[in-house]
Amino acid sequence: MSSALNSTMASLRVFAAHYRHKPLQAGAILLGIVLAVTLLTGVKSTNENAVRSYSQATELLSRQATAYILPPGTTGTLNQTQYFKLRQAGLPVLAVIDGHVMDDKGRRWHITGSDIIAATALASGHQTESSSEEYPMVPMGRLLSAEPVAMLSQNLVDRIKTVDGSASLNLASTQVTLLPQPDSAALGNNVLMDISFAQQLLGRQGRLSYIALMTEDESQLALARSLLIDNNTLRLGDQGEALTELTASFHLNLQAMAMLAFVVGLFIAYNGIRYSLMKRQRLMLKLLQAGITRKALMSALLLELIILVHLGSAIGFVLGLQLSQWLQPMVAMTLEQLYDARILPGHWQLAWLMEAIALTLAAALLACVPLYRALTNQSLARAGMQYSQNLIHYRSYRLQFLLACGLIALAAILILISSEYQYSLALLGLLTLAFPLLLPQLMLWLTSALEKVAPKGSWHYLVAETRELTAPMALAMMALLLALSANVSMNTLVGSFEQTLKTWMDNRLHTDLYIRPHPTDADRIETWLRGTDGVDPVAIQWEAYSYIRPDITDEADRHRVMLLSRDDAAMLETVSLKDSASNTEQAEFWPDFFAGESLMLSEPLALRHNIKVGDRLLLEATENLYPQGLPVGAIYYDYGKPIGEVMISEKLWHQAGMPGSNRNFAVGWRGDTDELQTMLKNQGVSPAMMYSQSKIKKEAIKMFKRTFSITVVLNSLTLLVAAIGLFSASMMLMQSRQAPLARLYALGVSRPRLFAMVSVQMLLMVLITALLSLPTGVVLGWLLIHKVTLQAFGWSIAMVWDWWAYLQVVLLALVACALAVFIPLIQQTRRPLISSLQQEVL
Amino acid sequence: MFKPLCQLIGVALATLMLIACEPAAAPEKSQGMGKLIGSDQADIERYARVLPQTQLTFPEDHKAHEDFRQEWWYLTANLETLQGEPLGLQWTQFRIALNPESALSGQVEDNSWATGQLYMAHSAVTTATDHLAAERWSRGNPELAGVDTAPLRIYLDNWQWQSRSKDLFPAILEGGDADFSYRLKLGSRAPYQLQGKQGFSLKSADGAVASHYYTQPFIHIKGEVTVHGEVHQVRGDGWLDREWSSQFLTGNQQGWDWFALRIGEHKGQETALMLFQLRGGGDLSSNPGANHFFSGRLMYEDGSGRSLSPDEIQIQALETYNTKGKKIPVKWRLQVPAEQIDLTVSALNPDALMPLTIQYWEGPISIEGSHQGRGYMELTGY
Repeated sequence: MSSALNSTMASLRVFAAHYRHKPLQAGAILLGIVLAVTLLTGVKSTNENAVRSYSQATELLSRQATAYILPPGTTGTLNQTQYFKLRQAGLPVLAVIDGHVMDDKGRRWHITGSDIIAATALASGHQTESSSEEYPMVPMGRLLSAEPVAMLSQNLVDRIKTVDGSASLNLASTQVTLLPQPDSAALGNNVLMDISFAQQLLGRQGRLSYIALMTEDESQLALARSLLIDNNTLRLGDQGEALTELTASFHLNLQAMAMLAFVVGLFIAYNGIRYSLMKRQRLMLKLLQAGITRKALMSALLLELIILVHLGSAIGFVLGLQLSQWLQPMVAMTLEQLYDARILPGHWQLAWLMEAIALTLAAALLACVPLYRALTNQSLARAGMQYSQNLIHYRSYRLQFLLACGLIALAAILILISSEYQYSLALLGLLTLAFPLLLPQLMLWLTSALEKVAPKGSWHYLVAETRELTAPMALAMMALLLALSANVSMNTLVGSFEQTLKTWMDNRLHTDLYIRPHPTDADRIETWLRGTDGVDPVAIQWEAYSYIRPDITDEADRHRVMLLSRDDAAMLETVSLKDSASNTEQAEFWPDFFAGESLMLSEPLALRHNIKVGDRLLLEATENLYPQGLPVGAIYYDYGKPIGEVMISEKLWHQAGMPGSNRNFAVGWRGDTDELQTMLKNQGVSPAMMYSQSKIKKEAIKMFKRTFSITVVLNSLTLLVAAIGLFSASMMLMQSRQAPLARLYALGVSRPRLFAMVSVQMLLMVLITALLSLPTGVVLGWLLIHKVTLQAFGWSIAMVWDWWAYLQVVLLALVACALAVFIPLIQQTRRPLISSLQQEVL
Repeated sequence: MFKPLCQLIGVALATLMLIACEPAAAPEKSQGMGKLIGSDQADIERYARVLPQTQLTFPEDHKAHEDFRQEWWYLTANLETLQGEPLGLQWTQFRIALNPESALSGQVEDNSWATGQLYMAHSAVTTATDHLAAERWSRGNPELAGVDTAPLRIYLDNWQWQSRSKDLFPAILEGGDADFSYRLKLGSRAPYQLQGKQGFSLKSADGAVASHYYTQPFIHIKGEVTVHGEVHQVRGDGWLDREWSSQFLTGNQQGWDWFALRIGEHKGQETALMLFQLRGGGDLSSNPGANHFFSGRLMYEDGSGRSLSPDEIQIQALETYNTKGKKIPVKWRLQVPAEQIDLTVSALNPDALMPLTIQYWEGPISIEGSHQGRGYMELTGY
């Protein structure tokens, strides 16, 4: 037992000495593992942190409630007596009042007032561990005595200071002192007050927006139900589940990209291991001949792998956390843009490191054990002079090719029937793995074909050698193919989306200026607009929130939607229909719709709840008029926020008694919009509430770019990893080819010619890879656009192919490859010929 | 509203508690409790002051004294189930004024949310094997928390001391949480005991800090206590302390050890003994070794009693118990040689740390030695 251990340790010592001599080999392996784990951990920590934020901290505490008590009809406010009744029964409840107020500069602020003491008591529970951090004193006395103070994040206070020059706001003619709170308080963009002041500021004395109930105890919930007054309703909450669900597709996409990067990183590591094994083939043979048992040698190799994996994972983990620090603001931005969700500064868990190690180790073992077996089982009698290509036979390429064809065929069939984005994404993964498997065989075929047409002499030699190089370079090329096609497909998605968004906005934004006056001013502004010469048309949009019930009988299955209406002319001009009743039946859609007998749904809403044209659904705002629900007359394109939109006609809006004061105007103007804006400013409309068409477009595109910045960054990182992989593979290949190249030089091939030869070989391989990445990228892009994005986000996008972006990534690959070839070549020219010739023997 | 923010406010509340009421858990870095408590002298001076000439009158002084910074109504009870199992129960309601101005002006306009008064209550049930505690917070608001005078009612949410008259007794005390709850009938015919000199109780040797303090150590209790869903009929004795002031500890006091002892017959009468020591606040010249400040009172059922002078009292910790990183002395020797009192008290359940905003130890004790009986012990600042 101990002798086996001794020989294992002895072999390990020999390996260590080998790596000391060739640090590049150990470096390449470590680099691969580090890169793989870095990306995996970076994205993992970013994702976990975001998901944790939904359920724990970033959201309003009241949104984490198990239930809410709402006024009848879920609009308006409720009497605070309800709150007192629940408190007197000993129930864990929290009173909240929220609303909007304008400041003296015409900005609209959403403020939240709550019973600060109750919130604190409920949040801390029994576990207030005093932290060693320095906390600023919260001036409890000022908060509770209804002084005009508000708590905001330090960040927001700084922003206000920059714009206004002081740390206070004039809200509804009251000077409010702002109390900055550290970012760890996770206030985000909220303006938080004590209820004593908030009620006063909103002019809602004695009223509450809702009461949050924080108990999962059934008997307490029943008690709360029995204490409801004024027809108030109790609705069960979801503790952030809805948001988690809503953003699941986004996080899954990130996760998929991280896995891709992980795979590419492992390719590098595997390549490094293979190379170092190849270099040690003779060494191991000698060890075996020196009496080390095969078992001991195998253990030593495994131990070496385990050590490398642990070391690499640990470094990668630290770098990954750093990466996540860098990614998080981007993800936070995206999530805020898309879902109105906010992210907290993150924590990391040791479990992630364990996971990364386990995953890397499993993958590495799976990949390396066959190699180790082949090596440790080699015949003692063999000279060990052969090239390592023997480790992988050409035959296996054919098998891989067949397997890939099978997988692609399978995916092609399944994709036709997949309707959930998770499955589509899985199929996408399947294809992503299948395509690279095609590569080695295709390369062999292509080089064989070239061999036939190549002129005899050095050209023929070049092509023939390229064919031989396929084996050592296959893995790096596969990794490159993966990264290239992923990049091409993502670029296609982002580019197509941008194009679609621009077209949609051109259609949607048909007038010159958009105005959102204060509700109390709406009537006056409308009269002014209609009476002003040169303003034409004046289109109106009304907005409110309501709920839909796809299943009329199921009261629990209700979803919050944005309810919109526009005047008929604007409706016809701005809405682009995806699908309408006119297409399917003889009935005309528009007349029915204007008569208030049907409604329209935005595409994301329809897709999320699988609602089709012709389905009936109950809109709570029109529940009294249509208790049996309304038919869906049409589904329209919408690339705004994924919170669902429902549109009803102006007639139905008024019939349902919806508020008319929350009105936006879209107006055309014959001259320069600045002129009109100045006139409106004189009418008391704040400049902040006016948007010109060009400004909206600019903002939207800016927002879009920000939204996709995380995708673009991850994608570039993957490409970078692949480029590093290619670089390291070429580098090692060049190292191992020093002898044959020196031989050619000795045979009289000039250095420039050698340069040209080697370059052409590498470029040939990269070009073949790039060629295959073109169809792969197209297929993956098509899937991303027409399956994953459509199913996950509910956006139909017209695919636009961007040749320039494709050329860019191919160019990048060529540059990485060229560098990898030239550096060792230049090194070689500095070395005496004899040492290069000896390389093979060493 | 937000959890982290609430933690932040929670720390603020905890600090308030430290400033206001109770010398409890020593902060992480062994900083003197008194440093936190006696923070802002200028601020303190804007509240009402505790003066020796103030005469306590009843029932008026049962109510809240909003112009003082802090105040509490504090009941401990040694009960017994029908099976004879001992059970300790504690209920305390605190009042903390948040700033002198609003404390004086009381409610602001017609806005019932606006207030200068903050209330906190905590309660615990302790058996030999179990120790359950809960805590409630609220702002002063007629619907949520406060003190009514006619009839007397001290309440916070659904916890309340509801008297039938303007006096404290007879009353019904209700409280509890998911794990435990109780409904107790409280009665007492004994006169109130004024601590210190006519209810002016010194808290330091130099006379810098004092409070108004009175006690009812002879309360008969009957009722039921539910622990983990199991209802127990109980009866036993209770002890009420009422105390208010605007400053409690001096800058260098670390915490206190307080004993409420019913020692049975002494000099022919049912007798109760209150003892406490404030650690680290004594006069260095007179008692250089201990540097503690002692106070106590012997109280008889007929209302008579004798306040003990600091040098009559000897308090010595005998055994400690380690829990949650704290070393709690759970067995003590208490001596008043002039009265031939020499007691050893030990905790019914040494694991009675209160896991609340402020951590401290509190639980029932049994008394052996020259006298036998039961009582309560409160240990803070460990």
